[in-house]
Amino acid sequence: MQQAKIIIGVMGVDQHENGAVAVMRFLREAQMEVSYAGLFNTSETLIEKALAADVDVIGISCHSWEYIHYLPDLMQRLAAGGREVPVVVGGSVLTARDRMELTELGVAGVFPAGSQPDEMIDAIRDLAAVRVQARSEAAQPA
Amino acid sequence: MAHEAKSRSGIPLKAFYESPGGDADTLGAPGTFPYTRGRFSQTRSEGSWIQRELSGEGSPAESNALMRYLLELGQTGVDIIGDAPTMSMMDPDHPLAAPTAGTQGVSACCRQDYLELLDGIPISETSVSSSIPAVFSIAGLIHAARQGNVGPEKLRGSTIQVPLYQEDCSYRIHMPVNFRSRLSADCVAYCAETLPRFHVFLEDTYYFSESGLTAIEEMALGFVEIRHLIRQLLGRGIDVDSFAPRIAILLNCSMDFFEEIAKIRATRRLFARMMRDEFGAKDPRSHSVVITSHTSGLAMTAQQPVNNIMRGTLQSLSLVLAGVQAIEISAFDEALRTPSRESHLVSLRTQQIIDLESGAAQVADPLGGSYYVEALTDDIEARIWDMVLEIEAKGDVETLVDQGYFKEIFHTAMERQSQNVASGAENVVGVNVHQMAETDDTMLRDLTDSKFPPCKDHIDRIKAFKAARDPIGLQRGLAPILEASKTDSGNLLALTIDAFEAGATAGEIAGGFRLGCGAAYDPFGQMEPPI
Repeated sequence: MQQAKIIIGVMGVDQHENGAVAVMRFLREAQMEVSYAGLFNTSETLIEKALAADVDVIGISCHSWEYIHYLPDLMQRLAAGGREVPVVVGGSVLTARDRMELTELGVAGVFPAGSQPDEMIDAIRDLAAVRVQARSEAAQPA
Repeated sequence: MAHEAKSRSGIPLKAFYESPGGDADTLGAPGTFPYTRGRFSQTRSEGSWIQRELSGEGSPAESNALMRYLLELGQTGVDIIGDAPTMSMMDPDHPLAAPTAGTQGVSACCRQDYLELLDGIPISETSVSSSIPAVFSIAGLIHAARQGNVGPEKLRGSTIQVPLYQEDCSYRIHMPVNFRSRLSADCVAYCAETLPRFHVFLEDTYYFSESGLTAIEEMALGFVEIRHLIRQLLGRGIDVDSFAPRIAILLNCSMDFFEEIAKIRATRRLFARMMRDEFGAKDPRSHSVVITSHTSGLAMTAQQPVNNIMRGTLQSLSLVLAGVQAIEISAFDEALRTPSRESHLVSLRTQQIIDLESGAAQVADPLGGSYYVEALTDDIEARIWDMVLEIEAKGDVETLVDQGYFKEIFHTAMERQSQNVASGAENVVGVNVHQMAETDDTMLRDLTDSKFPPCKDHIDRIKAFKAARDPIGLQRGLAPILEASKTDSGNLLALTIDAFEAGATAGEIAGGFRLGCGAAYDPFGQMEPPI
């Protein structure tokens, strides 16, 4: 059985890791393959790491307002490169209005404070489903 | 001074209460060894503790305006937080800094910035604390004092020392642990001679315990760091009583009301015994540690933010009952944003109401002698000390840092904290009990949901400032930094004060430190040395 693959990263000089570490734990417990892009990412480096890890979903954890700067750039770079990797963003600093704006940008999942682990796991699984299915089929013996 | 406190009904109150036969040796009266019951035998009549807000936003001038506003509201000390680049020793013109400059604290990187930040702040009378890297915040404060003709002997306040755990769970400065320890020791050694009233050695257990550590883990790791730095200083041949009175602890205050009180009482007792019996301190001021606290930001929730006001009230009441010397209450909007002025106002007023209306501060250690509090104090004291000894038995602490031993503790705590909230093992009102639909959770949202942009004008100003400097003067300021970092000679704080004078910035000086200790000038490979 193939598992969803996700990379989690923190952008810029935001150095709060509580959210990222906590989310990675429950995604791993849900049998996902999780890689950690760590701190100090730019749109460019996060995409690079995501492609290298061949992930199904890119996750960004934020506790500063730097996502306002990085997200439009990240989405644009993904689109320009023809990379259809869904992006999800989580963090307590995200407001209802942020969710609307990020969704308009094309962000596939926005998880503000109060998002439940199950809700996040389900959303990420759904976003990864097509690629996971393709991998499973490719892995079947001929 | 005579103690003339009375209850609301007019019952005269003593400075403190004890059992009729006097208390046992382990307890002692407030103001006597081992200081379990507090540093002083009497509460002071006004301003019992320093009441302040951790603040800073935008340019130095904007932060200066914020500090003046807080002082007008009755704040009795200032406490400054830097933005993420400032905390990481990066200048605002660094490409990674631009999207965040000034949004989570003040952007301050050079002498002029500190002069503007402290302009008109009465630094000869008001304690000036900061969470900005010590070597720069002290250099900046000394320049502001020189500018205002304030003698260094008058300066009060504190600055945090975070040599061991900084790279594991705080703002990284990308320097090896032995160099970070040297930087701290240089600051303490310099200030022991020149800033006799300044608490240069502020052990900050707040930031790393925000990973979700227990009170026991928090203080055990704090003691490990204090002991490490004391040993560094003693290794230099510095007399323990020359710096020990300047040690203070900035600790966290979470929601467990009695455990936090017990933690503080146990910490004072452990510290007193350790300083006297293990490190041979003779000056009584070396035995009684100053304790200051910032209430937990981790306890602040994005849901129903008004609840955070009650959390701050309970936490600060426990701190007052424990007899701390300074308090900052986390702003109620902290989970969502850099604090608004309104949330700073609420936090200050909370402290003022406790101080002036509740009567909670009239008697020293009012919970002393409570079966529960004394038992909890004894228990937590033993557990903290067991953990300190267990960690030190594992070997050299700097090696443990390099091996990721502490990082593992922090990451385990982050996971545990989140699991406890998700599973309901820990009640958090509005989060896992008594939740409210998002559409109904509207109270105070106009404040909590507002944002402000990075301070682009200030970035441009720093760029122009850098371009206009005299390169020869700059060279004279920076070259000794590089040399001293390479050779382990000279005092890095003294040289930083000179380098600020020569126009060097924090990012450039930090780059010199890094080059000197064999690291990259800019950890992100985007900035070049200016000379």
